[in-house]
Amino acid sequence: MNGVDVSLPILRLTDIRKTLPTGRRLLEIDELSIHTGRCLLLTGPNGIGKTTLLKILSGLDPPDHALVDYRGTRLPWPAARRHYRRDVIYLHQQVYLFDRSVTDNVNYGLRGLGLSRTQVAERVQRALEWAGLSHLAGRNARELSGGEKQRVALTRALVLTPRVLLLDEPFSGLDEESRGRTGFLIQRLKSEQVGVVVTSHELLPLTGIADEHLELRAGRLAPPARTVPRAGVGLRPRDEWRGHVAYLNTKVGDEAS
Amino acid sequence: MEENLGHASLYALRLLLSGDPDLWNIIGVSFSVSVRAILISTPLAVVLAFLIAYARFPARHPLIAVLQSLQSIPTVVVGLLVYMLLSRRGLFGDLHLLFTQTAMVIGQIVIAFLFVVPMAHGVLAAADRRAWETARTLGAAPWRAMLTVMTELRFGLLAVAIAAFARIITEVGTSIMVGGNIESFTRNIPTAIALETSKGEFAQGIALGLVLLVLALLLNVFLGMLQGKGEMR
Repeated sequence: MNGVDVSLPILRLTDIRKTLPTGRRLLEIDELSIHTGRCLLLTGPNGIGKTTLLKILSGLDPPDHALVDYRGTRLPWPAARRHYRRDVIYLHQQVYLFDRSVTDNVNYGLRGLGLSRTQVAERVQRALEWAGLSHLAGRNARELSGGEKQRVALTRALVLTPRVLLLDEPFSGLDEESRGRTGFLIQRLKSEQVGVVVTSHELLPLTGIADEHLELRAGRLAPPARTVPRAGVGLRPRDEWRGHVAYLNTKVGDEAS
Repeated sequence: MEENLGHASLYALRLLLSGDPDLWNIIGVSFSVSVRAILISTPLAVVLAFLIAYARFPARHPLIAVLQSLQSIPTVVVGLLVYMLLSRRGLFGDLHLLFTQTAMVIGQIVIAFLFVVPMAHGVLAAADRRAWETARTLGAAPWRAMLTVMTELRFGLLAVAIAAFARIITEVGTSIMVGGNIESFTRNIPTAIALETSKGEFAQGIALGLVLLVLALLLNVFLGMLQGKGEMR
């Protein structure tokens, strides 16, 4: 649908090892690849290390060991993270918005890039329009609803045009409509060639969105035993969802064409 | 005695309201010294507190314990140390700083610094880690992410700075030891109160005491407002 490029991963980590201070081996992953325009779904029980894995992928928290393939070079994680950090953005399960206006949240990353004030203002304005947040631009971000907060956080990340986006439980605590919007946004990201990694307990909102599903168990990644809601294949959505998912798919199809 | 106190208080008010130059000079010295001290010490102390809260290095926990126990160091001990360093035979004796306002500023910097580091560390360590992680994942350099975290905690950190200011503007030990209580030069509110009281002249002491009490009241009201602001968010 989106001309998925499966040739080379954007980011590939091998030999990821992480042991907790208690001595428990948390991660023991041989290989994890993130591809352009594809959505990887990670599942697994609570406390199994999904968030730790995302933070390692994002360059925020160090693993004990990992090798990173990025832009044609293979480097150990500490050396690699300086190169790839800028292209990978992590979103917390409960997104964190700075105690300032929506505009000042969205322009946060741009202001560190040495752009002119007008360039920053233009890009922020366009991004806010794109996300349908223009009417909230001057509001303090802390006063928004959960769904609005998440949209601000996503916009704040997207305005930096990352190549990889890591979403930690993006559907938790959202109402049906916000889930739909978030799912729609992920579809859009895929169509804009962003590699997306999502952890989720809920598979339904990812129906037709996830291209690959891996389960984290005992520190290792493997295809799950149970059904996978893969793009195109997927679970049969519940009746009340069928219309919604169809709506999302057509909407994305329209955008892409 | 009671009558004396009443008369002295009335006289004190008259001194204050008539703009008695000696009295207002003393008040001026107090504010000049303590404002300089707080402006210099707080930024340094908050940055150190941030490093202790966010960086991982060996001996971090012993350092926190030491700093916490130094928080309420007696001001006369600070006075003694600064006196020894600045006295003619001390390490910095050649600078001839003893019994100057600069010496008082140095002493108060030390007191404020030791007060702010553990308090600010408490504020920063209890704060939401996601602020730091979000700033970093959005591409902020470590120093910018640090400023962002501090901005997020501005109300708490300002409250710490105000509490530190209240501590140094009321302290007498260091000021009297390294300032020397020299009239219209290093005589500040606390040292003047000590002197006037020892002379049995209560009026000026009461007037200056009133200034400190009003200041304490204002700072507390301001602190309360800040805490209200901090809780709303």
